Formats: sequence, structure tokens, C-alpha cells
Amino acid sequence: MVTEKQNPGPEPTLPLAGLRIIDISNVFSLPYAGGLMADLGAEVIKVEGPGRLDISRGGAFSGVFPENEPGDDPWNRTSTFNLLNRGKKSLAIDLRRHEGREVLRDLIRVSDVLMENFTPRVMRGWELDYPHAKKLNPNVIMVSCSGYGPHGPYAQYPAQATTQEATHGLAHVTGYRGDVPSKAGQSFVDFLATWALVMGTTLGLRYRHRFGKGLWVDVAMYQLGCYMVADRILDWEANQRRGDRIGNRHPWLAPQGCYRCAGEDQWCVVSVHDDEEWAALCQVIGRPELARDARFASNGARMENHDAIDPIIAAWMAGFSKTEAMERLQAAGVRAGAVFDARDMHLDPHAKARGLLEKVQFPPERGIGKRVIIGRPWRLSKTPLHARGPAPTLGQHNREVLQDILGYDDARYAELEQSGVIGTRPTHPRPVLHMSMDERVHRGRLAYWDPDYKERLGIQD
Amino acid sequence: MVLPAVLDDLLVVDLSQGIAGPLCARLLGDYGADVIKVEPPGGECGRRMPPFFHDDPDPEKSLFFLLANLNKRGVTLDLAQPEGAAIFRRLAQSADVIVESFAPGYLASLGLDHATLEQDNPGLVMTSITPFGQTGPYSQYKGNEIVAYATSGIMAISGTADREPLQHGGFPAQYEAGMNGMLATNVALLTRDLNGLGQHVDVSMQDVVTSSLVINQPYYSFTGGVQGRRRLEGSSFGHVTPCKDGYFVSQEGGGVTWDGIADFYGREELKEPRFADPAQRLHNGHALDAIILDATKDRTMAEMFKTASEQYRMLFGIVQTPEDLATCAQLEAREFYQEVEHPVIGRIRVPFQMWNMSATAASCRRPAPLLGQHNSEVFTKLGCSEAEIGTLRNRGII
Repeated sequence: MVTEKQNPGPEPTLPLAGLRIIDISNVFSLPYAGGLMADLGAEVIKVEGPGRLDISRGGAFSGVFPENEPGDDPWNRTSTFNLLNRGKKSLAIDLRRHEGREVLRDLIRVSDVLMENFTPRVMRGWELDYPHAKKLNPNVIMVSCSGYGPHGPYAQYPAQATTQEATHGLAHVTGYRGDVPSKAGQSFVDFLATWALVMGTTLGLRYRHRFGKGLWVDVAMYQLGCYMVADRILDWEANQRRGDRIGNRHPWLAPQGCYRCAGEDQWCVVSVHDDEEWAALCQVIGRPELARDARFASNGARMENHDAIDPIIAAWMAGFSKTEAMERLQAAGVRAGAVFDARDMHLDPHAKARGLLEKVQFPPERGIGKRVIIGRPWRLSKTPLHARGPAPTLGQHNREVLQDILGYDDARYAELEQSGVIGTRPTHPRPVLHMSMDERVHRGRLAYWDPDYKERLGIQD
Repeated sequence: MVLPAVLDDLLVVDLSQGIAGPLCARLLGDYGADVIKVEPPGGECGRRMPPFFHDDPDPEKSLFFLLANLNKRGVTLDLAQPEGAAIFRRLAQSADVIVESFAPGYLASLGLDHATLEQDNPGLVMTSITPFGQTGPYSQYKGNEIVAYATSGIMAISGTADREPLQHGGFPAQYEAGMNGMLATNVALLTRDLNGLGQHVDVSMQDVVTSSLVINQPYYSFTGGVQGRRRLEGSSFGHVTPCKDGYFVSQEGGGVTWDGIADFYGREELKEPRFADPAQRLHNGHALDAIILDATKDRTMAEMFKTASEQYRMLFGIVQTPEDLATCAQLEAREFYQEVEHPVIGRIRVPFQMWNMSATAASCRRPAPLLGQHNSEVFTKLGCSEAEIGTLRNRGII
């Protein structure tokens, strides 16, 4: 297969080499964790149903098609799906049918890790929750991700990151100063779950390595989200303080804010942590006398007179591009950051030097070409890591999994195929809503678009 | 039979300061590692971070420090003095993991970088957590929470289009960077279990936050599209909406139809053709918003959350405050909180367990250390005599 041939030559031993992971995942959190573990060397088998596709294969959370063209198999072409599921194999099997679950049971017997993010009652109902999985394979590490966890008053509540952001306390502390609570970013708690899922799985693998036993890792997104406001919870416990929305200010240091720079929708943040940095900022903006101004002489005074500082910084920022402002302030030892958008994220010199984003080549028959995707936010000096191939097409590895791994004969394979237990096309393809790039901009879905983005990224065919 | 904790064979030395690095080291401690926190003689900056217990800015009363430094012993040591560096080198010889957050190059200037220390300890894993990572043109830039949001790409899409980009509240980027530090340390340890070799792990907070943009990033590399902030037009359905005693968020999807949502709000007019599909609802957004505002103005968050989730299977959220979280029955059921007995603060309940495990679950064995609390214990074990320790103390090295 093209995938395997992409990275020829010897590789240093990858930490999860030789491990088989079953990844019954949907949307962001768990698929991403599985993708990262494929990068780390595991054989990751993504399990979906021909009648129940991962929802990142279409609809609101799936991103866009290459060149905005759905093609003949849109479910294999969405951007978010292809980022998250890199380097995996695909088994498309109907787990709602008894025959499908029998295949899964066989697969659990020969796998190291079983990951799933169903609502807790689903695996329990199929007798595939940890107590049952352990009977099939005593050493299996099972990893579950749910909205609220399998027990407790909210256990069965439907959950999604975008509504949980309110419930787990982040929206209460996020928002413009004095304004209503707000959501921020994109499905934030999903990614906390991604990190936790990999943390839990790697701990589980070390546990099994040391003691020869499996275990169950039970991640609840709500619990993780609440952890992100642990300091606010402690402030409540100790001081009965609920905390305010303070926009872009810092809770105890001043000044801090986000200021408009030269150009259209260009911004730079700055944050001063002490008197020395304040003096440095005053120098940079050409107002050294302000360092001696009693209104701003201490952090307390600056907190008090923040409103008077903002227009002074804003006046200076307006004369510079966001990166120039950042560079000048940082050169003087003042914390500053240009507000980068998706284009900057790809083209900024630091991003390029770091190499967080990496190129993945798709096989020619996929018609996707070469694309840039997020790699991993950590680098190991002696274990170079990279995405080990593109995301699979639906059911691409049905035969490999059932025959090469499970040893099913041709007759059994044909039977599963003919009865529709396995497949390579969705039984209910989602309708594709086509919207041109210009229309996306017009409707406010996008700020702008770069028709020459492939040249900019160096991914021309 | 209860088996030992999964990381109880490890000695971790925590040189880091603030939130992300200390949290990473603490998480290793939660799963059994012996963690020794090494602070400068004046204490690390985390001790000066609010909130403080009863708002008293005593270096032993920072609740942030408490949270990020559970399960550690604490020593003081001035690495910038040669005697201090020499003692640290001895400690590093027996360490499995060092966690640090200095500006890249600082430890090398003291001869305490990974490349030097691994000569005497080839299994040593060093995990560095910094604002922009160890390499690249911004590696010497200073960072913090808002700088991470700005430069990661997340702030450009947070807030509304008519106003400035907006950061997340609190310090989630720091927590996330700490989690990734622990994750990558686990990966390095698994690799070491295979080949006996340690390595240097480089975690960049900017990279961590960018890594959560899995819709935004490939939008560009698949079409050239760049997302912006939400425009205030159409409907605010799906965004934070006021009700009788606070705010809620309600979304389509999950197990409910639009008619089901209309029933939840108790408004038959929501079933009219003008709201029949997403495009119509966007087009008639102001009318939709007005109906929902009116339908919820006398309803409470708690009632709506329960009714929407249990009876209508809706995706529904309520804006909970820290007080709500402190009394949340679901968090109780998850054993989220841990009672900690601290010698200065006293007894306090701390958010502790990030996730649950059927074996080798996180355990809290110690409160955060007082400044230099374990100097004698740790330095004696390294072979320092009482007299030597006294001298080091007098000279301000410990």
C-alpha cells in the first residue's frame, strides 16, 4: 500500500511499536488521541459502522473538502477527519448487529488497547464494558471517554464540548470585561480529553509492562474541564470569591491587553509583569517619563489606573504591524504576542522553524494531494516522530483486519460483506451542502481566503 | 492484591516554576513518583501567585502553588552558585526525570543541561516546558497565558468580529501545557523502558494551544480559508443566552429533533416553517432569539439543565460558577476533590483527580512543601554532613 511505502529507511524504535489499538471513536477527542498514538508507532484500527460514520466525515464539525470539492466520496475527504485520523487503518463494521460485535470480540482478544467514546450505556448494553472486555483479554487496557463519566447524576446526559464549555465553568470566567459569559476557541474540552486519553493510555501501558495486568482508564470531559478552573474553585473554597470576567486583562498584573495594530484586523497583546518591564515598555513606546509617573509607579497603581494606560499603548501599537510590535517589545524583555490567524500559523518564521505543522502525502487515487496537518506539540530529542501516513478511506482495511489479523477465511469474509455487516461505503451518505469560498466569506463563516494558498504552503501538485 | 503505583520506581526532580512545569511534575507524583522540588532560596514565583488562602499573600498560602505542588518534597538550592550546581549534579545522577521551565539555554550556561547531565546518567529524561519551545526565532521570547493564546491562533477566532480578539478566562493554556509535559514524559519513559536511554523532551506552550485548532488549521491547508471571529448577525442560538438566574447554551444535534427543542421551550411557533431548517433559523434569527429569550426568562438554569438533558436528550449547558462546581454532585461522584492537610493553611479541599482509573489511580500522599522543608532529609541522603548543610545555609546556597 502507498501508505507504508511513504517513509522508507530505518526508523528508530517507536515507543508504541508492536502494539495494536482498537479505536472506536467519534468526533475530536478520541480520534485525535488515536492519531497521536499512531504517530507513536501503534497499529491503530479505527472502527466505524457503514451506517454510523464518525461525524467528522461530514457536517458541521468536519471542516472542508480539498479545494472545496466534495468529489465522489466526500466522507473520505473532510479536512478535520483527515487530520485527526492520520496513520490509522479503517474497519467499517456494523456494531449494532450481533455478527459485527462478534468480530469486535475477536479483535479485542488480539489487541493491546481498546478505546471508545460512546455514551456509557452503549458498551454496557453490548456487554463490552471493561468487566466484559477483561474476560476476553485480561491484559487489555480499556480507555473510555464520555461527557460526564459512567456514574453520577449526569452520567446519561447528552454532552458535547460546545455546551460543556459553559457547564464546566470556563464560560463563566471568559468574556469581555463586565460583559456576558462567552465561549472561546473551538470545542476546547475535547482537546483536554485528547491529552488525558494519551496520558492515561501511556500510564496503562507502563503499568502493564511493569506488572503484567491491564486496567481501565475512564475519562470524563466535564471533570477535565472543571480542572481548568481549579484555581477559581480554590478561590471560592478559601475566599468565597466567584471571579469576574476581565476580558484580556490579567487578574493581578497590569497592564495587559490586546491592541489594534496597523492594517485590517491586526492585533498584538502585551503583558507587563513588574516595574522593570513597565519601564522597558515605556522606553519602547517612546514615553520614558511614564516610568516615573506616580499613577503607574507600582503594579497596584497600574491595576488601579489601567484605563489610563490602555489608550497610551493603543496609540503606539497603531503605528506598527503586529509582528513589528511584538518584536520590538520582546526585544526589550516585555511579553508580547501578535494575534496570529490560520495563515500566520502556517507561514510565521517561528512556526516554520518549529515544524509543528507537517505535510502528509495522499495516494494519487485519493485526489487529495499533499496537505499540511498539525503534528504533535512535543519533541523528543532521540525519537523523531511524524504522521505515519494519511487517514484511511472508509473500510480500507476490512480485508486486512478480518483475514490477515483475525484469520477469517474467504467464505466468512464474503458472508460479512454480502450481509452488509462490513462495507466501504456509507449506507446513508450525508447530503453535501456546497458553498463557494467567496460565499463563505460573504456569510461570515470565513474572514478571508487565499486562492494561492498551495503556493504559499509549498504543496502544489 | 493492590499493586504498587505505576510510577513509584521513579525519582523526579522539579526545577520548574509557575503553573505548567510544576503541574507536570505533580502529575508524575500523583501516579507514584518521588518528586523533589528544587526552588531558589527565595522561593519560586508560584508562591507569589494569587489566589491566597484568606487573601493573605504569605508564600506558604498561595493556593495555586498548593494545587501545582502536591505530592512533592521541597528543597532550596541556588543553582547559579558553583556549590549549588555541584549538589544539583549529584541529585541529577540518581534522577529519572527532571522537569524545568527556564529560558532555553540557561541550564546549559550552568553546565546543567540534558546533554551534560546524561553523560553520568544515560537514562535521564529532561522535560522542558517553555512558552515557545527550545528552538526557533522566538525561543527566547517571554510568554504567559495571553501571549500563548495570541500566537497560537486561538485568539483570532475567539470573541466577536466587532471587537478585539478575546483570551480564554483563567489559565487553561498553562494547565494544558502541564498535561502535555506529563504526556510526553510518559512517552519518553516508555521509550526508555525499551532501550534504556533517556532524552530531552521539548514542550512549547504555543504549540500546545495551536494543537487544539483541528478545524481551523486544515481549513487553510485544504482550501486557503481563514476563520475569523463570530459576526453578530443571524441568531445567537448556540451561544450564551440569559435566563432567570444566569445563562445557558442550547444546541441542535444529539438525540433531539427541532420539534423536540420547540417542545422543550414550550413554544409552538418555533415549529413554524420560518424556523424549519438551519438556513431559515439563521435568516429569521432575531425572531428566533426573541421567542427563546421570552420562553426562558422565568426558568432557572438548574431546572432547564435537568429537563433538557433528561426529558428531551438535548445538548444543553448552563454557565456554572466556581461555587456551583464546588458543590457539584457529579464531581463528587467522580471523586474529583481531595482533602489536603497543609501545615500552614490547615485542612482544605483541592480539585485533584483529572480522570479515573480502575488501578493505580492518582493518590495524594503529601501537601505542597514548605520552602526548604526537606533540605536536611534530601541533602543528608546525598552525602552532605550536618556541618556542610549548615555552611550551605549560611552562605545562602540553600
